[in-house]
Amino acid sequence: MGHRPLGAARELRKFTGNSRLAPGFARQRVGVRWNAAIPWLATAVRLLLGGVFVVAGALKIPDPAAAVRAVRAYQLLPEPLVPPVAFGLPVIEIAIGLALLLGVFVRTAALAAAVLLVVFLVGVGSAWARGLQIDCGCFGNGGQVSTGETAYPLEVLRDAALLVVALTLARRPASRLTLGSVHPVQEEVRSAR
Amino acid sequence: MPADSTAVRSKRAATRRRLEEKRAAEAAARARAQRQRRNLFGGLAAAVVVLVALIVVVLVQTHRTTPSAAAATPAHTVDGTVIPVGSASAPVTVDLYEDFQCPNCKAFEAAAGSTLAKLVAAGTVQARYHGMAFLDTAANHAYSTRALNAAAVVVDTAGPEGFQKFHDLLYAHQPAETGSGLTDEQLMKYAVQAGANAGVAAADIEQRTYADWVAKSTDQASKDGVTSTPTVVVDGKKLTDLSASGLTAAVTAAQSR
Repeated sequence: MGHRPLGAARELRKFTGNSRLAPGFARQRVGVRWNAAIPWLATAVRLLLGGVFVVAGALKIPDPAAAVRAVRAYQLLPEPLVPPVAFGLPVIEIAIGLALLLGVFVRTAALAAAVLLVVFLVGVGSAWARGLQIDCGCFGNGGQVSTGETAYPLEVLRDAALLVVALTLARRPASRLTLGSVHPVQEEVRSAR
Repeated sequence: MPADSTAVRSKRAATRRRLEEKRAAEAAARARAQRQRRNLFGGLAAAVVVLVALIVVVLVQTHRTTPSAAAATPAHTVDGTVIPVGSASAPVTVDLYEDFQCPNCKAFEAAAGSTLAKLVAAGTVQARYHGMAFLDTAANHAYSTRALNAAAVVVDTAGPEGFQKFHDLLYAHQPAETGSGLTDEQLMKYAVQAGANAGVAAADIEQRTYADWVAKSTDQASKDGVTSTPTVVVDGKKLTDLSASGLTAAVTAAQSR
């Protein structure tokens, strides 16, 4: 479909000798191609973000005692709340990740991911600011580190990058290869074709 | 009258077009309503599934982390999980949080271990060892847990002095962090060398008799706010200079307080 405008422009130029028309057509063609690429980009973003969340959640399930220590290490929650958060968080992460991987409720899942990432950023940032010696426990692990082996800048950078990705996806959730019902935006993309 | 019939025809065509447009708009509205209904029901179903999964997982994990009531506690320990070495009436206490697989702990032991031993022998310091086991991997066959379990076996049968010997032996022969850990036979050999009863130790090391106690000790360290190893606390104050001179200075300061 994308070939016609340029072909028509070329023909037009041939017949009229008017080269001023051509750039406009060419620009339009680039726009069409870009619009067609965006849903595929969104698919890639969805799979990336979904994959990270599923893996992060799954790695926290096998060793629940480590998960408890990881949450406790932040010293932000009162002790009675620590185990439920440690056990429940991976379930939420996996649910969000699966929704993104399958392409169902993409906008809701992307927004939920963004909310979680903000919480993680606040947690890691505050641990850093308080000078705690902890591992973020993002991918399993009990939150302990060998003395002097914290990796706060990397953890903050990673979460911030994922937050940008999640927010972008929430803004434009239409993507290809989804299992879910056709999203309104996606329908627009289809009808535009 | 050709002109007349053309006008009628185009009027009819316009009416038909309007009707078609109206139908299309209605169909679109119906489709939208149907989609919204489907999304609502799908969303509710998904929310219920997630909620059920949440409850089940929290219950299962709570059960998994609840230590059995019959968990064995080794003799000569205090406060449930602490292994004290030296006189209880020593003026200064040094709390040590260590993992047998932790390379920085080995470095600390190499640098300040003998200094601490002298302070304990002189009656100046009581060392309180808090075992942690958080460096278990599939590759090292849960070495952190196996090593601390073996240490519990040794303190149970050979007392604090035996434990200290075993502790020093394990740091002197610490396996590489990415390696496969010491075997149960090697742990056994060092346990006997440290004075443990060979007959009793073999079974307890192999069967990980104190595995629950090891988990409890690791959890207690986390509750104590310890997240990195080695953590050394001199009379309640965290030691930042983990060298021999740093330890001596901290103990001297604590004594004069």
